[in-house]
Amino acid sequence: MDRRSFLKISAATGIALAAKEAPAKEAVNPEEFIGVLVDTTRCIGCRSCERACSVAHDLPVPDIEKDGALARARDTSDTQFTVVNRFATSKGEVFVKKQCMHCWQPACGAACLTNAMYKTRSGPVIWRPGKCIGCRFCMVSCPFDMPKFEYNTWNPRLLKCTMCAERLEQGKRPACVDACPTDALLFGSKRQLMEVARVRIYNHPERYVHKVYGEYEVGGTGWLYLSPVPFEEIGFRTDLGTTPYPEYTRPFLYAVPLALFGLPALLLGLNLLANNDDTPLEGSES
Amino acid sequence: MTQSPTGLSAEVRRVLRFVVSELWPKGPLLTPFNLISVPVILLGIGILVVRFIYGLGAVTNLSQSYPWGLWIGFDVVTGVAFAGGAYVLTFVVYVMRVEKYHPIVRATVLNGLLAYMFYAGALVLDLGRPWNAPNPIIGNSFGYNSVLFLVCWHFMLYMMAEVVEFSPVVAEWLGLKRLRNILSSLTLAAVIFGVTLSMLHQAGLAALFLMAKPKIHPLWYSEFMPILFLVSSIYSGLSMVILEGTISHRVFSNQLDAAKHHQFDDMLLGLGKGAAITMFVYYFFKALVFLHDRQWNLLGSGWGAWYLFEVLGCVLVPCVMYIVAVRTRSTGLLRVAAIWALIGILLNRLNTSVFVFNWQSAHHYYPSWQEIVVTLTVVFVEIWAFRWIVLRMPVLREAHQLPHPESPVVAATA
Amino acid sequence: METYTYVNIFETKGLEYLLLISFLVLFVFLVRYLSTPAHKR
Repeated sequence: MDRRSFLKISAATGIALAAKEAPAKEAVNPEEFIGVLVDTTRCIGCRSCERACSVAHDLPVPDIEKDGALARARDTSDTQFTVVNRFATSKGEVFVKKQCMHCWQPACGAACLTNAMYKTRSGPVIWRPGKCIGCRFCMVSCPFDMPKFEYNTWNPRLLKCTMCAERLEQGKRPACVDACPTDALLFGSKRQLMEVARVRIYNHPERYVHKVYGEYEVGGTGWLYLSPVPFEEIGFRTDLGTTPYPEYTRPFLYAVPLALFGLPALLLGLNLLANNDDTPLEGSES
Repeated sequence: MTQSPTGLSAEVRRVLRFVVSELWPKGPLLTPFNLISVPVILLGIGILVVRFIYGLGAVTNLSQSYPWGLWIGFDVVTGVAFAGGAYVLTFVVYVMRVEKYHPIVRATVLNGLLAYMFYAGALVLDLGRPWNAPNPIIGNSFGYNSVLFLVCWHFMLYMMAEVVEFSPVVAEWLGLKRLRNILSSLTLAAVIFGVTLSMLHQAGLAALFLMAKPKIHPLWYSEFMPILFLVSSIYSGLSMVILEGTISHRVFSNQLDAAKHHQFDDMLLGLGKGAAITMFVYYFFKALVFLHDRQWNLLGSGWGAWYLFEVLGCVLVPCVMYIVAVRTRSTGLLRVAAIWALIGILLNRLNTSVFVFNWQSAHHYYPSWQEIVVTLTVVFVEIWAFRWIVLRMPVLREAHQLPHPESPVVAATA
Repeated sequence: METYTYVNIFETKGLEYLLLISFLVLFVFLVRYLSTPAHKR
């Protein structure tokens, strides 16, 4: 990029960073895919995001001072939509916020036979209770194992981060993004977030691994990550591939109508060829 | 034969009276099977009551890493593979008109129908929100993108096709000749429909796991899983017909005359031949996948040994047994081959859906005793239903051997 | 870090065709073997 555009972007980024939102100069097209950029070099592990998320969704609020939860790596659960984990890496302590990745082509959405797991047009992948039958096929399909099921009630829900879809509709940002004191979380369209991420890598090549996790993983995700160390060291799977997961079922689903057209005709043809005599299939009763 | 309106209602009443008279169990009540199955069934029902009050977590070992366990892995995925005999045999008898197997086709269709009814029923027990189960059916947003949507619809349509295929038997039992002839004329259409649907959903059960690529061990995961499941369902069905036919022949032998018994061995060997060839093809499919995905690197681990046990021990070995049994016309060896092949199918299905699912996870899943009891309950109730029907309806025996429904001796018949 | 290395997705094709030919040959023998019983009843 040339100097002029570089300076423009840096300036815009600087303003935006203070506002926790990607450059507001260009309005986000409502059809654009939105997400959040997580810069793990900025995260201090304060877990304010966990607290804000729990408050926003009427979940039990974690006792951040006393519960010692950072001692071991945790997964999200049916009572906690996001967790922050601490990793000891070659460059010291790194804190990583974990939640649903809001994939561009979500496996859970493709899996759901009633469209209860549903990717909204703006981006968040949400769960709609009225349609769900509780089959848990979304859980089987998610490469990140994100949807969590309430096993201990007769009326279970599938719970995970919703990117605060209700708050987004009111023009607010996700609760975690608002709560973060160090601007580790940046909200905007993926296009804008990728530009910011690349600028940061360009400006500080020694600080980051030169990769944005989620750019292409599983066909692209809404939540993007920057890291000081290789992503395997901070608990990410790097073997998930870049194919969107619904693609894996596409050949089969396309074959079904072909089979439904071809097989009955083939079977009937075989039957007509095999029919040497006129005896009926089941002898009529005397 | 014209029927006046009063004639029709008299007919309906006769049928209802007959059905009610048939409800009482026939034969001795205190058989070993009854003594074992009834307490298990009662316990299973109790467990299900707990499950519906307190949720799945109260009676199963399912977890966030293992959303599907024994009920899906065995009752649904393996059960459907075991029920593959119905579509294979109806294809052979009704499409290809190979009359040699006609005597066992009714029992096989009955087994298939009951298997699907009970295993689809078991699936409803596993649903977290079963009151929404009509949603994929009534159109509260169809998830066309989902393989499970397809499998669900196929199950339902296939059961309807099997009901149509079996309905002439019920009509014969009830003495409704005209209805029986109408239903018989629908058989070929139902069979064609049923074979098509069956092939698609046998493959579809594997397709459910296509998106779980990072979570299923690479020795079991393949983009060709649907084809592998389809081919193995063929020999699984044939093996189950051999096994089930053997048991039925012993248990219900009073329904069969001497000629039938002799014919039976011929049928078994013919089925064994089909199973041998199918297993041979399947084995080479597995070899192809093995080469294509360069899986030889993975054989060194414990999982590799388990894989070899499944493929060499439980596919190659029964395949060879079938070949030898057919060549030497040994029905004894044939039955052993059938059981062994079915064990291999059970292993393959459970491995793919449960055991090697999330194989890298720290937790491992094993079924709780309650899950096992409920599974047994489903199987026992299915056997009860099968027995009830075979003792009363012309499944194994010809219709003319049944006492006529209007005969006064109907209630006293054993 | 992502690196770009040589990938040949058709690496095993030769072996697969060999497998196929051996399958077809063995299949013919199998069907013949199954169709002629060792002892006649």
